[in-house]
Amino acid sequence: MRSQYIVPIGPDGIYEIKTGTWRTADPRIDEDACIRCGICLMHCPVGAVTREGERFTINLDYCKGCGICAHECPKGAITMEGRDTA
Amino acid sequence: MSILNRLSAPDMISPGISACVGCNVELTLRTVMRIVGPNSVLAIPPGCMGGVGVVGWDKLSGARVPVFFPLLTNTASMLSGIRLAYDRQGKVNTHVVAFAGDGASVDAGFQALSGAAERNDRILYVCYDNEGYMNTGYQRSAATPKGAWTSTTPHGKLQIKKDTPRIMADHRIPYVATCSPAYIPDLVTKVEKAMANRDGFSYLHVLTPCVSGWGFPPEESIEVCRSSVQTRYFPLYEVDHGRYRITVDVPKPRPLSEYVGRLKKFSRTTEAELAEMELLVKQQWQELRALERVGGEHIDG
Amino acid sequence: MSQVEVMNGNRAAGIAACLARPDVIAAYPITPQSSVVEFISRMIAEDKLDAKICEVESEHSAMSVLEGASLAGGRTFSATSSQGLALMYEPYFRASTLRLPIVMAIANREMISPQTLWASAQDSLSVRDAGWMQFYVEDNQEILDTLLQAFRIAEDSRVLLPINVCYDGFYLSHMSERVVVPDPEEVDAFLPDGYHPQHILLDPDRPMAVDPLTNGDLLTEYRAKHLAAQQAALEVIEQVDAKFSAAFGRSWDGAVEAYRIDGDCEAVVVTLGSMTGAGREAVDRMRESGASVGLLKLRVVRPFPAKEVRELLRGIPAVGVVDRNVSFGWDTGIIYQEVSSALYGVQGTARVPMIAGLGGQDITVEMFEDALRTLLERGRAGSACSPEFPETIWLSQDGEEETR
Repeated sequence: MRSQYIVPIGPDGIYEIKTGTWRTADPRIDEDACIRCGICLMHCPVGAVTREGERFTINLDYCKGCGICAHECPKGAITMEGRDTA
Repeated sequence: MSILNRLSAPDMISPGISACVGCNVELTLRTVMRIVGPNSVLAIPPGCMGGVGVVGWDKLSGARVPVFFPLLTNTASMLSGIRLAYDRQGKVNTHVVAFAGDGASVDAGFQALSGAAERNDRILYVCYDNEGYMNTGYQRSAATPKGAWTSTTPHGKLQIKKDTPRIMADHRIPYVATCSPAYIPDLVTKVEKAMANRDGFSYLHVLTPCVSGWGFPPEESIEVCRSSVQTRYFPLYEVDHGRYRITVDVPKPRPLSEYVGRLKKFSRTTEAELAEMELLVKQQWQELRALERVGGEHIDG
Repeated sequence: MSQVEVMNGNRAAGIAACLARPDVIAAYPITPQSSVVEFISRMIAEDKLDAKICEVESEHSAMSVLEGASLAGGRTFSATSSQGLALMYEPYFRASTLRLPIVMAIANREMISPQTLWASAQDSLSVRDAGWMQFYVEDNQEILDTLLQAFRIAEDSRVLLPINVCYDGFYLSHMSERVVVPDPEEVDAFLPDGYHPQHILLDPDRPMAVDPLTNGDLLTEYRAKHLAAQQAALEVIEQVDAKFSAAFGRSWDGAVEAYRIDGDCEAVVVTLGSMTGAGREAVDRMRESGASVGLLKLRVVRPFPAKEVRELLRGIPAVGVVDRNVSFGWDTGIIYQEVSSALYGVQGTARVPMIAGLGGQDITVEMFEDALRTLLERGRAGSACSPEFPETIWLSQDGEEETR
């Protein structure tokens, strides 16, 4: 008996996939070029970009490597760096 | 509060869902639910978001708010029922939210949507429009534009796109707005207005271009959204208690061919179909401008 | 104080729904139930009922609204018939598999086509496998009483299933009879004080997914639990009927009523719904002229009271099932098959399928007498003349021969 419930409910926690494993390129923020506009944060579909004070960081556990942040950054401060798939 | 502060509200959706790389729907859902917050219940009918895990799996949930699957056909009606029960329990501040695809809103779920709007039930209905049944393999819906490839219209859809935001506005519900993921501050403001609407039904229609179904590179996702607005293909406006207002003006529209040309789904669209589309885009814009003027006169006169 | 009033079946249903203190009602019209929701609408408008009503745009939405309200923790009620029931089938199925104790009256009506408005059990029997419990009642008093019982049974923690109370369209819905209306305070004492779900709830204070995508093994568990709940309901039905009898002085015999089925009974006719009245009359007349006949009233079809039916009919030489419906593909009615399944392996009982009263046609006392006479013959002829698959008798007012 896998469930103590009599009806399909999901109260036992959050279902998540480690979508960071999908990536074939990692986003890197050049802190010096960054003007803190927040456009990367606004447009990241995964919500991987967070702001702490003046600093923006990207959570690589879930980043799928879509490249929107790099593409949209007005200063080109984000680059997508390829990595070994081995 | 600044836009970035508002967007720093906690994410109400699971951090890891299997939406496509660069998905505009995922972006929209997370954004909407950050603003709506935890005092809410979320209806996700069958479609992309249900498929990628937002309602969860087995005994786990894909959201940090109560979330459930309505049927494809009845999102709005189920929410009507929830609202009535909540009002009776005094949960009048709990937001009752739909996040439904175009299939669930303009096709199979249209009757329920229209019925709930006619009753002016106090729910916040967000339609994410990727112009087809994308989750099931890109079949056409009423929201698919004329000339577009879909898996059931491989030579291009023969009929024009159903203008759902206008139809919803004609129900004379208190708040209707169109939004785009390329204009996040505009979207956030509209979500907040919808939340503040105590007078009845709020309807938000978001054009969410689909990387997989429309055919464009994921990193261009926001650019495609921007192009949809800047060509006037998808005007951003709101209808607040009957008053029309274009919220992102496009004084010098880009040629529609720029938008159409970057999407694989229009690769077989003919010159004649493009010309028809341009005419429709022009018509739509003129009508909106006229409606803006009428609304003004009505209120002032 | 209880009151005696003259009313039709729809009004009895409406009154019962109001007495149950529902939270949310869905209202949509369809002949022959429309006056149920009209009555409730009036009660709310006149401040005689404190409830929320949603005038929906179709029956599909009626069931959807009730499900939303029930998931949010509200007690719910609606009524429908025929096409409306068919239209709401999509959400109807999951009301039971989400274990929502919704109560819905069905004024039984034929399914189109041909174009029709009149009584048969085709509509509700066609959805008998969607997991709801189903009661079939004989008169207007039973409509009112059974609806009250239904709210209590449905919300019982051993059950937690939605319930249909079915009554023949026009025969009961539109016909006036004397009905005792219980005192509201006594009803309050009989029913639970509000619906307080522990098993499924949309609550921002306790967020969870409701109905996530589910693996096959887990689905199998939920189905097994659902089946078990239907079986557990058989006992709850009897218990609630006993409690109802103690509180209001009327019993409806639980799931099955045996009418004059005694030790020497040679023929029994099985009935559903309002035809039972004519059947009782026929049994009485024939008993008076010396025949040993009886009637079995099937009050509950889901869960099917197989054990009780088997025990009551075992040893009866001939049993006829009068179906006011058809089972396409089986050449019989639906209840005949259900009763036959319950009697599987029982020796010495001839089973005879009978179809009557389709399209709202009257099932008369005389037709029942004909049927019982046929059954007596079959019973006396014994097993030699009792084929495994007997031919269906189509009863009609012109005599049995006037059939197919």
